[in-house]
Amino acid sequence: MSSIKDILTPFTAWKNVFKEPVTVKYPLTERPGAPRYRGFHKNDVQTCIGCGTCESICENEAIDMVAVAGFEAKDGDSGLRPKVDYGRCCWCALCVDVCTTGSLCLSNEYTWVDTDPDNFRFIPGVDEKSWDKNELGWKKPEGDYEFYGLKRVEMGELEPDERNHSFIEMIKGYSKQQAEKEADRCVECGICTATCPAHMGIPEYIKAIRNNDLEEGLRILYDTNPLPEICGRICTHKCESVCSVGHRGEPLSIRWLKRYIADQNPSEKYRAILETENLQKNGKKVAIIGAGASGLSAAHYLVKMGYEIEIFEKLSEAGGMMRYGIPEYRLPYDQIDKDINYILSLGVKIHYNVNVGKDITLKKMSEDFDAVFAGTGLHLGRSTCVEGTDHKHVYQSIELLRKITGGEEIHVAEKIVVIGGGNVAMDIARSLARLQKIKYGKVQVITTSLETEEKMPADREEVIEAREEMATVNPGWSPQRIEIVDGKIKGLHVVQCLSLFDETGKFNPQCNLDNKNFFEGDMIVESIGQGMDLSYITEDIKDHLEMGPRGRIRVNDNFQTSVPWLFMGGDTIQGPDVIHGIANGHKAALGIDKFLIEK
Amino acid sequence: MKKIIENLGYKFILYEVEYQRKNLTFVTVDKENTVQLLAYLRDYEGFKHFVLMTAVDWIEDGLFQITYILNNPKKKIDLAIRTKILREKAKMTTAHHLWNQVATYQRELKEMFGIDFPGSPRVNESFILEGWDNIPPMRRDFDTKKYAEETYFPRLGRGTNDPSEYMKQKLYPNE
Amino acid sequence: MSKQHWLNIGYDRSKYPETGGDGNLIVDKESQKFVKVWQGPNHPGVTGNMSVELTISGDEIVEAKTHVGYLHRGFEKLFERRKFIQVFPTCIRMCVAEPDYNEYNLAASIEELGGIEVPEVAQWLRTLVLEMARLQTLLRVVPGQGGTTGLGIGVQWGVYLRDLILDRFEELTGGRVYHMYIIPGGVRGLLPAGFKKRMLDNLSKIDEFVQNIDNVMYSNAVFKKRTVGIGYIDPAWVNSFGIVGPNARAAGFKRDVRKDYPYLKYPELDFDPYTATESDIYTRSRVRWHDLQITVDLIRQILDKMPDDGQIRAETPNVLHWKIPKGETYVRAESSRGEYGFYVVSDGTEYPRRINLRGPSYTHAVSLLEHLLIGANIADVANIMVSLQTCPPEIER
Repeated sequence: MSSIKDILTPFTAWKNVFKEPVTVKYPLTERPGAPRYRGFHKNDVQTCIGCGTCESICENEAIDMVAVAGFEAKDGDSGLRPKVDYGRCCWCALCVDVCTTGSLCLSNEYTWVDTDPDNFRFIPGVDEKSWDKNELGWKKPEGDYEFYGLKRVEMGELEPDERNHSFIEMIKGYSKQQAEKEADRCVECGICTATCPAHMGIPEYIKAIRNNDLEEGLRILYDTNPLPEICGRICTHKCESVCSVGHRGEPLSIRWLKRYIADQNPSEKYRAILETENLQKNGKKVAIIGAGASGLSAAHYLVKMGYEIEIFEKLSEAGGMMRYGIPEYRLPYDQIDKDINYILSLGVKIHYNVNVGKDITLKKMSEDFDAVFAGTGLHLGRSTCVEGTDHKHVYQSIELLRKITGGEEIHVAEKIVVIGGGNVAMDIARSLARLQKIKYGKVQVITTSLETEEKMPADREEVIEAREEMATVNPGWSPQRIEIVDGKIKGLHVVQCLSLFDETGKFNPQCNLDNKNFFEGDMIVESIGQGMDLSYITEDIKDHLEMGPRGRIRVNDNFQTSVPWLFMGGDTIQGPDVIHGIANGHKAALGIDKFLIEK
Repeated sequence: MKKIIENLGYKFILYEVEYQRKNLTFVTVDKENTVQLLAYLRDYEGFKHFVLMTAVDWIEDGLFQITYILNNPKKKIDLAIRTKILREKAKMTTAHHLWNQVATYQRELKEMFGIDFPGSPRVNESFILEGWDNIPPMRRDFDTKKYAEETYFPRLGRGTNDPSEYMKQKLYPNE
Repeated sequence: MSKQHWLNIGYDRSKYPETGGDGNLIVDKESQKFVKVWQGPNHPGVTGNMSVELTISGDEIVEAKTHVGYLHRGFEKLFERRKFIQVFPTCIRMCVAEPDYNEYNLAASIEELGGIEVPEVAQWLRTLVLEMARLQTLLRVVPGQGGTTGLGIGVQWGVYLRDLILDRFEELTGGRVYHMYIIPGGVRGLLPAGFKKRMLDNLSKIDEFVQNIDNVMYSNAVFKKRTVGIGYIDPAWVNSFGIVGPNARAAGFKRDVRKDYPYLKYPELDFDPYTATESDIYTRSRVRWHDLQITVDLIRQILDKMPDDGQIRAETPNVLHWKIPKGETYVRAESSRGEYGFYVVSDGTEYPRRINLRGPSYTHAVSLLEHLLIGANIADVANIMVSLQTCPPEIER
C-alpha cells in the first residue's frame, strides 16, 4: 500500500525552511483587541442611574450594586453603581446589551496583572483603570437589537373629530394583549417606586399583569392606593418621568397599566379579592372633612384598621376635585363611583351637603370623634387682578368646571380667552371647546400663559390633545388688561413674558413691554391656580395652629397639626394632585392610628 | 409522518400526539409498551438511529418523563417517545439490547435521576460522579445553590443592594 | 462484544481470553496474565480530559472502560436556575472546541418554541459562524491525527491557521474562543468593514495548507502504516452504536444534518458531503480533510451570497422575563463531529425545565470506543481516540 512516492512527498515540507516564520517575536509588542472585543468593563457613572438590570441579567452573579461616594439616591437614580467581580465574570456583555441608559460598555483591553485578588472586584468608572479612555471595545449592537421593547404599545383614543363635541371618555384603555405586551417592557428595576408619592409597588403590579393575575394586581394597588380607577386615568404619573426604559426609549405606560388592572376587576368582586369582607371594629371614631382624594384615602385605610369613619362633604356628591375639577372625558363619573362605592361598602358613612363651620363646628367634631382629618382641598379660584377682571364674563376655571359637572348651564361665548398654563387651564379650555363645538359648530378658544411652551406646567399630551381639538395654545404672554367697550369684553391685552423668577427664585415676572399682543375674545377664564378656604377653622383653634410657608398649615411627618387631634392632608398641604392626596391620606391614617393607640 | 402515527395507533395505545415540526413528532405511551414500541419502530418502521434518551423531572406531579428520540435516516424524520413513570422508587424497563449506547444513557439516568433499569449492563457503576453521597443531582429537589454554599466556602467581601429597597432606605425610611 | 474482531484476521490469537456465556471476554484478573493501564485523564492528544481504563494482555487490549467526570460542571442542572437568556453564555461551555453549535441549538430551539422568525442577514451570519467554527476545529483535528503518530509539523501549521480564523472570530463576534454571538432572536453584529477580504486571504492560505498536509501526512508512508486498516468500524455498527458525522461518512453512510435536515441557509449553498467506505483511521481523517475543503468552499459561497446589511435580531419579548410557551422540541446541527442536538423542554415559565445535549462523543467515546479498543494494540489507543474526534465535556455536561 505504501509506495516510494509516500516516502518522498513528505519531504516537500522542507520548502518551509526558506519562509519567514509566522510566529510573533518576543518580547510581545502591543496587540490591541479588535474594535468589538469584549474586554474589561467601563461605565459612564454620570449617565448610569443604578437601575440594576445589569445585575439581574448576569448569569454568574458577578455584579453587585453598591453605594458610591458622591452619588446620592434621588428621583430617577438609585445612587448605586455596578461593581464587577472578575472572579465570576465571563465577559458575555449581556450587561452591556441590557443597560437601560447605555452607560455600560466593555473596552478592548484584555490584560490585567495584579497580585491582590481583591483588586479584581472593582467599580467601573469609579475605580480608575488604564482602559477608561479606550474608545474601542464592545458596545450594544446598533440597529434593531433590543432586549426589551423601546416603543410603547399605542393607546387607543378617540380621534379629535370624534371627541371634540362630546364628553365621552377619550382614552379607550388597553386590551389584555396590549397590556401584557406593554407590561413585558418593564425591566423591574423599581426606580419608579421612590418617585411615586404613594410609593406604589409598580414593578410588582406590572408583573401581575404579565402573569395574568389581575386579582393579585388589585391587591398590590390597594396596598398603597385606594383609588386606582381614578389614578389609572388622571394621575400625574411622575413615575413615568423616571422610568429607566425611558432613557433610550419611551417609558412604560404605568398609568394605563394601573387602569387596566382596575378596569378588569369587577366591582362586585372587590371585597372578596381584597379580603375586606370581615373587618373588625375597634370602637374608635374618626371624622373626615371632605370626600376628596386624601379624605377617601384616609377613610379607606382607617376603616380597614377598624375605625368608624364619618365623612362630611360640602357638595352633593363625593370625589372632590376629582369629580368637580376634572372633565368627564378624562375621568368618567361611573369610574369615580366605582372607587368610592368600594370604600363606602367597607362601612364608611358620608354626610353630603354639610358645610363644616356652618352646619357643624370643628369644635363639635373634636368632641364627638377621637380624631379629625381635614382634606378640604383648593376650591377658591385665584385672579390675575388685572384691569377688567371684575367684569361678569370673567370667570374662574374652577367654578366653571364645577358647574359643568353639576349639570348647570354656563355661559359659553363664541370667542374665549383662557389665562393659565396648567392642567386645569387645559381642562377648562378643552371643556369649553367641546361646548363651543356643540353650540356654535366651531372652536375659538385661546389659551395663554406666562410660561413658555417648554416650561408650561401642563402635561405634554394635554397640550397636544387640546390643539388636536382645535383650541389655540399660545404661551409666553403676560396679561395686562382686559379691553371692555360698552360693557362688553373685546379681548385681552398681553405683553411678552421673558422670565418668571428672579435670581433668588422669587416669583417676579419680567416682561418685554414693547412686544405686545391682543387676544380677541368676549369671555375670559382665569386659571392661574387655586387657593384654600380655611374659614371653617375657628379662631380658638387657629391660635394653636402653627403655620408654615405660603400660608399653609404646618404638619409633621404623620400629617398631624400642632392641634393633636387635627390631621390635615391633600392639596392644602402638598400637591396639588391626586396621587399626593392619596399618599397624604394613607400616611395620615397611619399617623392617626399611631396617635390613638398612644393616647 | 401522519401515516406512521396512524399505523402505530392500530398496534399501540398512543396518549398524546404532538406534531412539533413536519419532521418531528412527540407521542406519549404507557411505560409497559415503551420498549416494545421502540423495538417495533426500529425493526419495522425504519427508525434505526437512536438519537438520545433522557429524563425530565415533573416533581409537582410526582413523575419522571423519559424521552427516547428515534430517527429514521431514510425518511429523515424523528419520532420522540415519551413515557411517564412514578418518581418514587423510579424503575423502567431496560432497552440496552436494542442499541449499544442505550446502556450508557441508562447508567447516567440511574446516577443523575435515580431511575433504575434492572438488567442494564453496569447500570450501578458510577458514570460521572465518583463518590457522590447526596440525592441524584438532576432531580429538581436537589438544590445546587444550597449544596454549593454548604460544600464550598464563599470568598467574603460581596454584598449588593436592591435599587428600590435602597432608595426607600435613603429617601423615605419611615413610610 | 464477540471475539470475532477486525484484528483477528492474520494474527495468532490463541492466547486470547475465551468468550463467556454473556458474550463478554473472560478476564481473570487473578491469573496475572493481565495488566491494567490508564490512558488519560491528562489530555491524550486532542481528545480532552477523559481516561480509558485498559486491561491488556501483552500489548493487546482485552477490556476498555471509559471514565469521564473530570470536566463535569453540571451544566444541565445549572440551566434549571437560569433564565433562557442566561443559558446563552453558559451553554457554550459544553463544547470548548465548537461553542457555536451550542449557541445555535439553544437559539433555534427557543425560537422554534417561542415562534420567533430570524431575520435574513442573521441567518447568513449564523451559517457563516457555524462554518467558521467547523473550519477552526478541523484545522486542529486534521493535522492532529498526525500528532498522535508523532508527526508534529502539520499541527504547527494548523495552529497558525486556526489563529487566523480566531482573529476573524474576534473581529466579528468580540471573542476568540467563546464567541457568544448567536443570541436567541438573531446575532450580535454585522460583518465589520474589510472582513470579507481578510477572510478570503486566510482561506487562500488554508488552500495551500490543504495541499501541504496531503503531501506531508496523507502521502506519508509512516502515517499510512499507522492508520490504514486500523480502528475499523463495521458499517453495521453505525446504527447499532449511533455513529454520526465523519465517522459514519467514512463507513459509507452519507449522513450530514446540513443536507438531511436543512437549516439556516444551507439549502441555498452548493456542497456534497464526502463519503468513503474503508472506515479506518486513515479514511476517517481523510473524510475530515475533505470536510475542511468543503467548509472553505462554503465560506466562500456564504461571503459571496450574503447580504451586507439588514436587521440582525428579531423583536423578542423582554429577555429579562421571557417566558417560552410550554412545549418540547429537538433541534440539531452538523458539528465537525456530527449530529449535535438540543432537546429542550419548557414548562411555560421563564426558566427551562430541561435542556439536554446530544453530543456525538456520548456514543463515540463511551460505548463505541469501549468496543473498538478490544483487540487493539496499546500504541494505537490515542490514534483511535483522535480518529473518533471525541470531546468529553459533551459527554458529562
